[in-house]
Amino acid sequence: MSLFSALTVSATGMEAQRTRAALLVENIANSETTRTPGGGPYRRKDAIFTTEDVGSAFGSEMDAQLAGSTLSGVSVAGISVDTSDPEMRYMPGHPDADANGYVAMPRINPAEDMVDLVSANRSYQANVAAMSAVKDMIQKSIDLLR
Amino acid sequence: MIDSLTDNLEQYMNLVSLRQKLVASNIANADTPGYKTQDLDFQAAFRSALDGGSPEAIQVAGLKSKNDGNNVDLDREARLLAENAMRFSVASNLMHGAINQVKEAINLGGKSS
Repeated sequence: MSLFSALTVSATGMEAQRTRAALLVENIANSETTRTPGGGPYRRKDAIFTTEDVGSAFGSEMDAQLAGSTLSGVSVAGISVDTSDPEMRYMPGHPDADANGYVAMPRINPAEDMVDLVSANRSYQANVAAMSAVKDMIQKSIDLLR
Repeated sequence: MIDSLTDNLEQYMNLVSLRQKLVASNIANADTPGYKTQDLDFQAAFRSALDGGSPEAIQVAGLKSKNDGNNVDLDREARLLAENAMRFSVASNLMHGAINQVKEAINLGGKSS
């Protein structure tokens, strides 16, 4: 039952939110990208979160014996790639335009990604706050010995 | 450890830190689809801990679920985070006092001889 496992949980939360923020930034940066290595326009990516049992860095066996309940952290289970049809925009002068003058553009709404980015940022901050509160509690326990 | 008061304080600090761990877990999973908020029934858990029982995490009822089935309320967790930190601080100060008392007794005993 060590408090250190709470630090691990917050760390998994920060890592997951950072991954999510990185994908959102990638989406915004590529909102007008018409060429990708796989061919076709860029496709929107999203992180899928899932719970993940967390043990402390060491002594997880002892933790399991004492606590009974396991703590849930979070991890990125996978990255979903948008499979919907690209948005066809009429741009006859564009080098990637088809015979009818339409260009396949990524189906990305930058406003939506910006809002998600703010949410990822907030969640990251919440994890940092939790980590700092737990760190203070650990420090208080250490100070008992002074 | 020293007397019954410090034993109770120890249980209390254990429970508060367990609760803080659950809060950290809730915050980490604030965006996980289908995750349900975990917490302790503190009064019941403390009473059972004093009788030697082990605490059990429960799912919190009465929270509004989002569309993805997640019901973490970040404001609630932020409140609990601050509350637990303060409770732990009070308990650790009391514990510090108790330990210092014993220390003082030991030191004074050394001086008088």
